[in-house]
Amino acid sequence: MSRAPQLKALVLIAPLLVFLGMFFVWPLITVISQAISDPAISRVLPHTASAISGWNGKDLPSDEVQAAFRADIAANTDEMAMGDVTRRLNASKSGFRSLMGKTVTALKETPEIPLVEIDKRWGDTAYWLAIRENASPYTDAYLLASIDMERGADGAIKAMPEGSSANAAIILRTLWTSALVTLCCLLIGLPYAMVTASVTGWKRALLLGAVLLPLWTSLLVRTAAWMILLQENGLINQALMGLGLTNGPLALIYNRFGVVLAMTHVLLPFMVLPIYSVLLTVPGNLMGAAASLGAHPVRAFLRVLLPLSLRGVISGMLLVFMSAIGYYITPALIGGATDQMISSVIAFYATGSANWSMAAALGLILLVLTLVLYALYNRLSREPGQAR
Amino acid sequence: MAESFIRFDKVTKDYGTVRVVEDLDLDIARGEFVSLLGPSGSGKTTLLMMLAGFETVTKGAIILDGQRLNGVPTYKRDMGVVFQNYALFPHMNIARNVAFPLEMRGTAKSDIAARVKRALDMVQLGHLSDRMPGQLSGGQQQRVALARSLVFEPRVVLMDEPLGALDKQLREQMQLDIRELHHRLGLTIIFVTHDQDEALTMSDRIAVFDKGQIQQCATPRQVYDHPANRFVAEFIGETNLLPGKVTGVDGSKIALTMPDGSVLRADGATGLAVGDAALLSLRPERIDLHGPNDAPAGLNSLRGEVADTIYQGDHLRIVVTTPAGRIIARVPRKAAEWPNGASVALGFRPADGWIIAP
Amino acid sequence: MRYAKAVYATLIVIFLVAPLLVILPLAFTSSAFLTYPIPRFSMRWFNELATNQTWNRSILNSAIIASSTTVLATVLGTLAALGLRSQDLRLKSQIRTLFLLPMVVPAVVLGVGMQAVFVPLGINSTYFSVIVAHSVIAMPFVVISVSGALAGVDRRVERAAESLGASPWRVFRLVTLPLAMPGVLSGAALAFATSLDEVVLTLFVAGPNQRTLARQMFSTLKENISPAIASAAFVIIVGTVVIAAALLLARMTPARRKGRVPKTT
Repeated sequence: MSRAPQLKALVLIAPLLVFLGMFFVWPLITVISQAISDPAISRVLPHTASAISGWNGKDLPSDEVQAAFRADIAANTDEMAMGDVTRRLNASKSGFRSLMGKTVTALKETPEIPLVEIDKRWGDTAYWLAIRENASPYTDAYLLASIDMERGADGAIKAMPEGSSANAAIILRTLWTSALVTLCCLLIGLPYAMVTASVTGWKRALLLGAVLLPLWTSLLVRTAAWMILLQENGLINQALMGLGLTNGPLALIYNRFGVVLAMTHVLLPFMVLPIYSVLLTVPGNLMGAAASLGAHPVRAFLRVLLPLSLRGVISGMLLVFMSAIGYYITPALIGGATDQMISSVIAFYATGSANWSMAAALGLILLVLTLVLYALYNRLSREPGQAR
Repeated sequence: MAESFIRFDKVTKDYGTVRVVEDLDLDIARGEFVSLLGPSGSGKTTLLMMLAGFETVTKGAIILDGQRLNGVPTYKRDMGVVFQNYALFPHMNIARNVAFPLEMRGTAKSDIAARVKRALDMVQLGHLSDRMPGQLSGGQQQRVALARSLVFEPRVVLMDEPLGALDKQLREQMQLDIRELHHRLGLTIIFVTHDQDEALTMSDRIAVFDKGQIQQCATPRQVYDHPANRFVAEFIGETNLLPGKVTGVDGSKIALTMPDGSVLRADGATGLAVGDAALLSLRPERIDLHGPNDAPAGLNSLRGEVADTIYQGDHLRIVVTTPAGRIIARVPRKAAEWPNGASVALGFRPADGWIIAP
Repeated sequence: MRYAKAVYATLIVIFLVAPLLVILPLAFTSSAFLTYPIPRFSMRWFNELATNQTWNRSILNSAIIASSTTVLATVLGTLAALGLRSQDLRLKSQIRTLFLLPMVVPAVVLGVGMQAVFVPLGINSTYFSVIVAHSVIAMPFVVISVSGALAGVDRRVERAAESLGASPWRVFRLVTLPLAMPGVLSGAALAFATSLDEVVLTLFVAGPNQRTLARQMFSTLKENISPAIASAAFVIIVGTVVIAAALLLARMTPARRKGRVPKTT
């Protein structure tokens, strides 16, 4: 009976569902699969890959495995892909470059020739181990690399050698910078929201307007404005020198200070608005009631107003932190080389060095982190009763 | 009853696993004004919404003028609906609001203007036809809604607590206006309300709802004086309920023996037999107070002690404790007053009491 | 206490608003540098925007892409918001969350994914890819804004229309849509502003031929801070305001304006 309205609703949302499926969900799935997939070997040597998974790793691989390998090599027509395979195997076990070249040529002439007769290295299990190791279409190598880890020759996870990768440092830096921005937003935003909620009329309109105005203005314009203010001969330095507070210009831009300042400005509304909306639901006479019961204003604040606004505070912090970790434009423009955050690194891997798998792996980490924070935020804003 | 114009035939409505209306039968005659009265959640609004076509019927049938309505979409049912919040179109002026149903029916333009004017004049709002709904007071908006629901001469007019949002004075004025329109135009009106005074004032018949069923459907006088059961007795007006045992039945006259052994006689609902437990429903305003030994002969009389007297302006409420229980009597100001603790006799005529099943 | 409150509030208001006020006058500087004091009022940098091939191409691109995005996102988002209004829809809250997710997912991640999908299909670096990418992140604003407006439409008003003889389609056209129009229009304005300001996705899915104004500003800011930036910022702000104002005006239908007649009684 409720079929008809349900169908109508489905027809209405179907276009957007399809659109998002194609242009939002699919790209994200691509990121995930790119982060964990390693198809080079399994695509070119499909039969080998499936046959070798049953091999015990100690004795020489069985005739079936060797036959599958011969067949795969013979069937391949894509020289480039084979080159890829060779490079990958060579990275696991040096010597593969010459071995593969020799083997491919030999098998082209006599497809049935036993492998050990082509080269005695095929009698060494180390080479077969390298193939098995790379045969799986999935890999955790990129995800590990994005936190500066790798698998050793024995397959155990270990830290990469010192100084070989800065990914973990950048992730930590991203979290640290975001935490700093969140803290600044909290320190500025909480009192501001309380002041806004405590006044009425034009004062409240002004204070709210001041928060909403930046929210409605272009992010790029706001970032540009901060660049103009903070630059070496910008207004702030001019003012400081004019007042005689400093002799030379201070370095305000292209460093962490500038990034945190500009991001705080950009994200402040996300802190103020949730706190403000929670405070609006708190009866205005509670502080008066606390005072009449003998509480000093500071204690009244700590014991009454703060606990009541906690839900807004946590929502705001989650919102700011979640937005901050994904920021790209502001750190890219206002930060120096050592202030780049995870987004910049992803963009670098993707557009600069065309290392798609690394970009995807770091992207996956950022995505998961963001979604977890969002789920928390969502839960918090949906169940007001259980949030205390 | 005259021929049935609207018939609810074993109508049931479920929301998921919750049954809001159960196996309900109701017949309404052409030109009748029937109020659906009951507490919120009793199913009265749901019944109206099913009649209007906003809700589907789970089981049973609704028949209007011989036509089965199940499956007929609302816009083809030709019923005027008046909502509590008026539901005027906020983006159209008053004249366009009232013209709307005529436009939907393809009425000729020249005809529309004349009929809109007539409808607005009928509710004394002809001079406001250019206004937007937001510029009107609540009472004016409700009169526009009324004009809009009547202008296309619907077969039935459904009103869902239409006066609930108005203040008391305006509400009473509108009650009289609607009553007058009902008589003048011969409308069939089904009126949902939770206000018993409103139902008593306006209706030809009142259907009292509880738990998805009609507890009683009768004239206001019957519903008040002869409630079918305890729910109706308690829901409409104020009453004292005194438990006892039936010790004699003579037609509609019933003798009820109270716990202290005294016997009270009153009219009662059919179906009670000797030996049944029963309740005497006694309206406070039907009780007279006498001195302990002054009770007139031929009347039922209960002895008791005055516990409290409450001054209510035009009358007094006197709380009396009797062996049969605490009884509240409502007596006129000019009657004699007793101090707390005074012994009194409560008297009432057998026709002023009503005995029902517990 | 009260004094401290006022000082504090004033300082933060200045912190929030000043940067936006500082950049606008610089659009009219005659200097080659983006610094105060401004030597002379001049249209020099607007001239630069208008005559420089790269800048005026990017403004044209932004106009094309933002208006197409607005249309696409508004149509899809409005339909979806109407669908989400149904009480009968199963998985409604999950679907709504999916619709809002593009606001949450970091743009860089989405950009990497879009590029990875678009390149093999041969549609990367086309107007299509840019418009689609912008629509994905502009759409949630439309859904939110239209849903909000629809929540304000009293169901009983629609029921009243139906009971007065309007078929479902007429109820939608004559009652629901006009009443939800403010939400549709503000959703459209937000979609336009989002597209105008979008940089990150554009970096991934646009080629040199689809370089937008925001993208051009971004690379200019990276290289050298030229006053053309302030002029471009001025254009973006004016563009947003003009669109918002136009939509606001369109909203004031003749009936509405007539409705503003003061009460006489």
